[in-house]
Amino acid sequence: MEDLSEFAIDRARHMGAEYADLRMEMATGTTITVMDGRTKNMISPEESGCGIRVFRKGAWGFSVTNALTKTALRSAVDSAVRMAKVAERKVKVLFSIGEQKPVRKVESYPCKEPPGEVRADEKLSFALSLDDSMKSHDPRITSTNVRYDDFEGQRVIANSFGSCVVTHEVWTFASCVAWAKSQGVVQQGHDSLGAVSGFELARQASSQGLGDRAASQAVRLLASSPAPAGTFTCVLDNRMTGLLAHEAMGHACEADLVLAGSSVLEGRQGELVADESISLYDDPTVKGSFGYFSYDWEGVKARKHTLIDHGVLKEFMHNLESGSRMGIASNGAARAETYSDRPVVRMSNTYIGGGDRRKDELIGDLKNGLLIMGGQYGYVEPAKGQFMFKCDEAYEIRRGEIGKRYRDVSLSGLILDVLKNVVAVGDDVVLGDAGLCGKADQSARTTDGGPHICVSGIVVGGLA
Amino acid sequence: MNHAEDAAERAVQLTLRFGASDCDVLASSATRISSEIERGSVKQTDSVSDHGVGIRAFVNGSVGFAYCNSFQHRSVDRAAGRAVAMARAGTPDPAFKGLPSVSEPSKVSGLFDPEVAKLQPDEVVRMSMELAEVAADDKRVYSVNASVSAGQGEAFLANSNGFRGFQRMSQFGATCEAVAKSGSEMFSGYELTTSRKMERHSLDGIGLTARQYALKGLSHVTIDTGDLPVVIDPLALGFILATAIGRGADAEAVQRNRSFLAGRMGRKIGVDTLTIRDDPTLKWCTGSYSFDGEGVPARRKVIIDAGKLRSYLYDSYTAAKDSVMSTGNSLRGHALWTYRQPPTISSSNLVIRQGDCAPDEMISETKNGIYLRTTFDYPNLATGEFSGLMMESYRIEKGELGPSIRQATMGIDIVDLLSRIDLIGRDARYAWGVMAPPVRISRARIGGTD
Repeated sequence: MEDLSEFAIDRARHMGAEYADLRMEMATGTTITVMDGRTKNMISPEESGCGIRVFRKGAWGFSVTNALTKTALRSAVDSAVRMAKVAERKVKVLFSIGEQKPVRKVESYPCKEPPGEVRADEKLSFALSLDDSMKSHDPRITSTNVRYDDFEGQRVIANSFGSCVVTHEVWTFASCVAWAKSQGVVQQGHDSLGAVSGFELARQASSQGLGDRAASQAVRLLASSPAPAGTFTCVLDNRMTGLLAHEAMGHACEADLVLAGSSVLEGRQGELVADESISLYDDPTVKGSFGYFSYDWEGVKARKHTLIDHGVLKEFMHNLESGSRMGIASNGAARAETYSDRPVVRMSNTYIGGGDRRKDELIGDLKNGLLIMGGQYGYVEPAKGQFMFKCDEAYEIRRGEIGKRYRDVSLSGLILDVLKNVVAVGDDVVLGDAGLCGKADQSARTTDGGPHICVSGIVVGGLA
Repeated sequence: MNHAEDAAERAVQLTLRFGASDCDVLASSATRISSEIERGSVKQTDSVSDHGVGIRAFVNGSVGFAYCNSFQHRSVDRAAGRAVAMARAGTPDPAFKGLPSVSEPSKVSGLFDPEVAKLQPDEVVRMSMELAEVAADDKRVYSVNASVSAGQGEAFLANSNGFRGFQRMSQFGATCEAVAKSGSEMFSGYELTTSRKMERHSLDGIGLTARQYALKGLSHVTIDTGDLPVVIDPLALGFILATAIGRGADAEAVQRNRSFLAGRMGRKIGVDTLTIRDDPTLKWCTGSYSFDGEGVPARRKVIIDAGKLRSYLYDSYTAAKDSVMSTGNSLRGHALWTYRQPPTISSSNLVIRQGDCAPDEMISETKNGIYLRTTFDYPNLATGEFSGLMMESYRIEKGELGPSIRQATMGIDIVDLLSRIDLIGRDARYAWGVMAPPVRISRARIGGTD
């Protein structure tokens, strides 16, 4: 693939590209879905292709081919150049891509048991064991769902600065959902686990407990009531802190949104945007995490980003374009889901740093509020300055004691206020909630986390 | 025989020869050009084409699925082998009773617009610029981000019972986000369109609507926690019902007792004036098709009739379990089909029957309430409870639309939402696969900041 990459990049330059890059991939994987003890689908994908991007005078042209042949690549390059020339004619904002030092690297992500060398029936045994652990957990469990995914791919990233990064990527993911029923009430519980690793993930103790955790949550929620609506001081568990970090601040720190005029954080670098007890990081270099990568999808070496340092907005996450337009080097945050997607600025492992309070102190100090646990999903509109994140379950806190259990509920906050309203930060940082983040019609594997934190002024979307 | 047909025929023969009892194969191709505007300037023009083959094989009822992004024999042969191997590795399923027999696809017009297929990149760029210029036409508009895309696709479906079907589809779409600033206040307005037909004339309206809402949202209020009537815009209603009904009525979720609609067949779940149907035959709507992802002819079906639940959405597998006919809701993607995923049950185009209330009347009839324009939350399908952020909402006071509301939530059980509809608008629009009018509900629990 390296030879083909060189050919395509040379042709793009020859055709008039100021800058060109490509992502070429060959990938395989497995997806297994088990429902109620039987397989629903056993999926085996195989694909290859190349996405080529050409830059001229402030605009990009992008083209994709499925065929990895010189003829197909020549045609794709010509199409990308044609697209760039069409766009260039209407460009109002002129800029160039800052010269980068070429990187030549061949690397493999950490992996002990390559999924491609593990038989499908062994993967299925793992999925069925998770299903069984849910079913046997409690007679009130009425339905179960297990999904297992793995991915192995060879990716070449090359650009006209002379970079060529060849990565053998591998990751594994498993999730469980359980439904419980009692006296006409149905509730669901879920848990998931993902890592940049091979099938060894399935042998970890935490994987074996996945089904139990999902089932016990479903059963627990049978005895719960709708949450109250209104504004509350909340203690967030590690997962909800992670989701808050990701939705409240992470997206607004993506420099492409800042350049688009779509982030309320534009122009606020150096300003206090959070309580001084808050530091926020995005770190793709955490080995074994689901958000791990060592070189980004533009061939730039990945590094830890300190987005907020003791309350002060320090840096944004950049790709080559945003770095060039803001006069700095890319800090390696460009990601593309597949070869057929263009790289955009993305998070990786996003977490709030630890403080000095114990979790039980955070709860014990709260006179009236909610304990919020387990993250489902969240979203944000950085231009509106609003975000939401949804928990799995909540508990009333009165005079420092945990009380009544509530069901899943949405919580919302304002980007510029929420981290200023942090009352206390726990000392128990956990980076562990693996999931997929969506942006620009692409998914990226990410992990969120942090310690328990206590925040005031959270609006809770309860039904009661 | 073209490449797709050849690849599909070959895949069916090989999959059976490798030991599958049944199989279906989708060979599809799609091309898309798009233009993206960032802050009023052209940022990117894309030309993406994709083709491949997805093979679903059955062995003792167990399903294996494999795909390759090529029509080449070597790739297709390998994918057929993998599909059968995966099916063999899975667990037998006696509930599988076979794939649909051969039926004539329905005659559905408006699946393909040659005008969309003819669009050239420079024309798409020009349209996106024009759209952005409309949105930017106010000095308070700080930034406009927009896109226009045009795509076309062909899908050839073959199964081991002899079904052979071909359909050509197109898609035209545009989005616009206008960001307005005034002093330290900032707000964004968003609008979109999606259709199988080229709708150049609608682009100005998209830019204008995005701009108007961006400016309108600059003045804002907070709101007390309490119960209020809510006028729900088709954008928000479509997003909520696409999941609540589109996925809630999925027979698989119902049969496995995972949906709040399980056990409610024939029962009242909404007001008498509420009728919701699933209609894959709607002209120019992106969820339309002439046959579904298993080759079942497209047909309309009423899901909720005068407030009563009348039908679930079935594929052939779930239909056999309930001894009914498939409703033709086994889908392979939305506007342009993809070979990359096995078919799954989904709504095609949900249609909420329109009422007779004029848009202005709906607001003027509301003395003290909320206008919910967008939310991107969906209900918990197990419980049927909705709890979400009102991402874009406005105060209605004394029958007039007022300032935007910051940081407010809405909580309501979906059956309560459907049962509290007291006004239904007469103007419907299509978004998120749902043709919906605005509706007013008499009461929802609003979480506020005061």
